[in-house]
Amino acid sequence: MNARTVVTGGKLLANLLLAAFSVFCVFPILWVLYSSLKNQAAFSRNIVSLPSSLHFENYSKAFWDGELYRYLGNSAFVAAVSVVLTIAIGFVTGYFLSRFSFRGRNALYAMFLFGMLVPTYGLLVPLFIEYRNLHLLDSRLSLVLPEVTFALPLVIFLIESFMKSIPTEMEEAAYMDGASLTSSLFRIVFPMCRPILSTCVIISFLNIWNEFPFALILINTQELKTVPVGLTNFVGQYTVDYPQLMAGINVSILPVIVVYLLLYKRIIQGMVAGAVKG
Amino acid sequence: MNRLEKTLPRPKSTTIYGYLLPGTLIYVFIVLIPLGLSIYFSFFKWSGGLSKAFIGLRNYGDLIQDAKFWFSFRNNMIITVLSIIGQLGIAFVLAVILQAKWVRFREFHRTVLFLPVVLPAVVVGFIWNLIFSQDYGILNGLLRSLHLSSWIRPWLDDPHIVIYSVTVPIVWQWVGLYLIIFMAAIQSIPSDIYEGAEIDGATGFRKVIFITLPLMMDTLKVAVMLCIAGNMKIFDNIYVMTGGGPGMSSTVMAQYAYRTSFNQFKLGYGSAISIGMIVLSLTLILLSRRLMGGRTVER
Repeated sequence: MNARTVVTGGKLLANLLLAAFSVFCVFPILWVLYSSLKNQAAFSRNIVSLPSSLHFENYSKAFWDGELYRYLGNSAFVAAVSVVLTIAIGFVTGYFLSRFSFRGRNALYAMFLFGMLVPTYGLLVPLFIEYRNLHLLDSRLSLVLPEVTFALPLVIFLIESFMKSIPTEMEEAAYMDGASLTSSLFRIVFPMCRPILSTCVIISFLNIWNEFPFALILINTQELKTVPVGLTNFVGQYTVDYPQLMAGINVSILPVIVVYLLLYKRIIQGMVAGAVKG
Repeated sequence: MNRLEKTLPRPKSTTIYGYLLPGTLIYVFIVLIPLGLSIYFSFFKWSGGLSKAFIGLRNYGDLIQDAKFWFSFRNNMIITVLSIIGQLGIAFVLAVILQAKWVRFREFHRTVLFLPVVLPAVVVGFIWNLIFSQDYGILNGLLRSLHLSSWIRPWLDDPHIVIYSVTVPIVWQWVGLYLIIFMAAIQSIPSDIYEGAEIDGATGFRKVIFITLPLMMDTLKVAVMLCIAGNMKIFDNIYVMTGGGPGMSSTVMAQYAYRTSFNQFKLGYGSAISIGMIVLSLTLILLSRRLMGGRTVER
């Protein structure tokens, strides 16, 4: 055995290791995907085989009888309102933090950084009490403020570091032409930030869509629950029917998977930048 | 920063503060006030009703002696240590392989390995519930078909192994994030350093140990911190997988605070647990930062 075969063998082994891990990552998801089209009898005969007949009724049942349509609608509503607010507030805050120095700037910056580090789950109990005392529990808008708050730091930091990379000339020119701060902010700067803003939209959407513990404690009414919490109800109802369960899981992650497959480059970039910043 | 200010006219302070007000207010309302409330309520014995008895620091005295709290903290620590080894270790090996010129389907691997990161933790929990399931799970099915029936376990029902079982999905979900962070770090290492080493006769494995690893130290430190911060607040997966059971065996701090507050309605004590949890997490994060030397890099 000479050196060359050892090297080739090493490369082969490395490629195999990589492939094995990719399979390990994706197979559980695929398994849930194709098994969801079986019926329980076929599934219990052989848990890994591909379905021999397709049972799409699992999906209509999950969607309608399992009330996933309702949870999807609620999640879409909460996500839409929260993302718009997050972007608006995050953009303005990030802009002022990066462009100007003012008294309290560092304190404000530290506060948002603290927001990325603090284990938000420590706020579950007190936030519940605060909401209960102010009668804010159990409304269609209950989740908006917490979702915005937890999505905000990442957006602020992404905008802030993006602003550092673009020169001030355009804003100066706008002032020369007599534009006000507000119009320069929204007519000039906002469009320039479009690439980073779209990254912010996608990542906040994913985080808000996936958020579980606050949705669990702040919403009690069945009709107002979001997907992750609604899914736990659904799973509780169908514990014995595995393919049915899997269909429900798939319906609930479909939006996430679609967004990911369309935009994975942006998502990966933005999440890594945000993570390393924190 | 300063260069910019000279050319951009600075708006009036009131304008600046006006624009910053919404973000600050929301933040105060959702984070700072609850934090303050939490400290306040932690001095009371309170089950959520009208009667609330001031008991000073007694909740904290109880907390320090509360074996269940420390047991759940221990569980957080087990998960954290296993995650640092598992997530960062696997991610590092895969990142090194993925950077090699001869690797096939790089883009595919990257996309697939990152996919679990974007899934809701709740769903990851459910998927792994199915994998671990006693009769219909893939894991036991696989063991059966490999004639390893003696290895079959009630993965989520055996109190001795359940904490390790619930760690697997956590490692599974987050390897992709660290993989991408490490890949970015490896890419930023100038290639002439490797070329120089090759001239000196360094081979693949040695290059990794003597060049890649040392030059990635800063990134590794950030990754360890992220890993600690992430695992101190673990909740969703375990909530849906085991609910912290059987018994206390897979309960983590957030789960314990949740159970104490919302199942037993001890809101005062639950607040004290929350504060304890925040203090422990921040201490560990700062400690790890200190131990690994200096400030972390900003990128």
